[in-house]
Amino acid sequence: MDVEKLRAILAALEGTEVTRLDWTNGQERLTLRMGHPPAPVTALHAATAAQSAPLALPTPPQVTPVSPAAAAPAAVPAARDNTFTVNSPFVGTFYRAASPDNPAFAEVGQVVKKGQVLCIVEAMKLMNEIEAEQPGRLVEALIQNGSPVEYGEPLFRFEPV
Amino acid sequence: MFHKILIANRAEIALRIIRAARELGIETVAVHSTADANSLHVKFADESLCIGPPPSKESYLNIPAILSAAEVSGADAIHPGYGFLSENAEFAEMVQHSGLGWIGPRPEMIRMMGNKVRAKEAMKEAGLPQLPGSEGVVRDERELGRLAEKVGFPVILKAAAGGGGRGMKIVREREQLVQMYRTASAEALAAFGNGDMYVERYVEHPRHIEIQIVADEHGDIVHFGERECSVQRRHQKMLEESPSPALNEKLRERMGRVAVEAMKKIRYNNVGTIEFLLDERGDFFFMEMNTRIQVEHPVTESVTGIDLLKEQIRLAAGEELGRTQKSIALRGHAIELRINAEDPVTFAPSPGLITAYHAPGGLGVRVDSVAYEQYRVLPFYDSMVAKMIVTADSRPAAIMRARRALREYVVEGIKTNIPFHKRLLQFEPFVQGRYDTRTVERLLAEAPPPAG
Repeated sequence: MDVEKLRAILAALEGTEVTRLDWTNGQERLTLRMGHPPAPVTALHAATAAQSAPLALPTPPQVTPVSPAAAAPAAVPAARDNTFTVNSPFVGTFYRAASPDNPAFAEVGQVVKKGQVLCIVEAMKLMNEIEAEQPGRLVEALIQNGSPVEYGEPLFRFEPV
Repeated sequence: MFHKILIANRAEIALRIIRAARELGIETVAVHSTADANSLHVKFADESLCIGPPPSKESYLNIPAILSAAEVSGADAIHPGYGFLSENAEFAEMVQHSGLGWIGPRPEMIRMMGNKVRAKEAMKEAGLPQLPGSEGVVRDERELGRLAEKVGFPVILKAAAGGGGRGMKIVREREQLVQMYRTASAEALAAFGNGDMYVERYVEHPRHIEIQIVADEHGDIVHFGERECSVQRRHQKMLEESPSPALNEKLRERMGRVAVEAMKKIRYNNVGTIEFLLDERGDFFFMEMNTRIQVEHPVTESVTGIDLLKEQIRLAAGEELGRTQKSIALRGHAIELRINAEDPVTFAPSPGLITAYHAPGGLGVRVDSVAYEQYRVLPFYDSMVAKMIVTADSRPAAIMRARRALREYVVEGIKTNIPFHKRLLQFEPFVQGRYDTRTVERLLAEAPPPAG
């Protein structure tokens, strides 16, 4: 199978509800998984869930892993592509720059080196510098400057360089 | 009054605090580990913050993370629940130094009661009866004889270096005292390298009776009667009830009065529980004090009709008690059963996914739990899944109601101790109200569970 054919298949699936495709043709086998894994079904018991509770924080489902293995706060590959996220190592307040007058540590499009400071998470009046654990190009800053962040919350999305 | 309470705990007690706060018009912030993201305490709180990975040390015991969560969420008070940081005086101090309200007794109270020796000394001074025995180690055989006569037989000899049931000898006859002392001391010397012994009154049938204390910040203190927690296995409470079948009105009044007097002497504040050992003669002795809300507080709520959590919160905010001892009356009878994820025979923990769940209901049945179908009981935390509390006009009616409710309780996918509770509720010593802290042992020894 060539890249063009794969592209065509992907294009055909785009926008559909298909989450998995298994395709076999002679020796060729292709398995595609699309989108995020399904969220855990939480069928609440009628007695305890007369009203459905609002989830307090706008937390994307992938930051609430149930298995301890998936809970590592560091770089986590994103589900859809080859990008990865840098997640907050603790609960605190997120800052993109050293002070309001300083430029952001990293701008979108910029390539960062391993060990380069990406942001600050303030906890207990301590300014904790968060460093890149691997090099990458900053694709997206996910958190507004000055916002509270949880343990494990994705802060930035990077793509490998 | 507080505006927003951060709950430094998880599961059913966190949900219990949310319920009380909401009824007081106070917002709540739940904190949780990554493993607890789907817990009801997270879903029912007004806000939630993930503070760390599953191990308690890195999440629910992580003081910097909890204080940081209080800061970013704008909470003005912290409720510690029970367990975790609830009896950590340093944490209470840090909360107060951060300018936050601490929903519990003052740090110095927590510190005093956290040290068993200091607690006994302080409570002796405050007038609470102590189990008779030697103040320190027994110096010689003559002193031993004098002490044993004073304490009264049977006595127990305890190795000063022993512990956990090791190095103990029960002496029932005066004539055996010296011989058994020599043997015990020699054994202790061989086992622990130290032959020093204590002597104490031995209680054959000890009952665990505790008095609920409620105090404001201004020196006003009352008690909310007693709870009996003698149904224990290896010091783990399994069932609690109020009132105790072992107390009459006179004894209740006396225990409550000396408890309140002692609390006034040390200027205790907020809620707390004084644990007593009650012997066969109706004498009671101070064991320890818990400086927090207890797991079994609902039985007291059921018979007094007062929400202890709401009481605790409003008193911590500085409101006056506004109750007289006379206004506190115990009505009817309440029993709490702890439903644990454990094997009903071996008591081994049984965490896992709950595949089917139905909680009992009907008149006089309350279930405090965060369990639901598809809820996962996690291996990282304690195994309690739910507390089932039944209330009825009398003790026999409460037992019938508990049996009825257990028949409706469905928990599948994990093992629970529900079969154990069913046996207990049929066990004659329990039904008669004539039981003590060794009754569970006897139940497990006498009546092997039916196969299957």
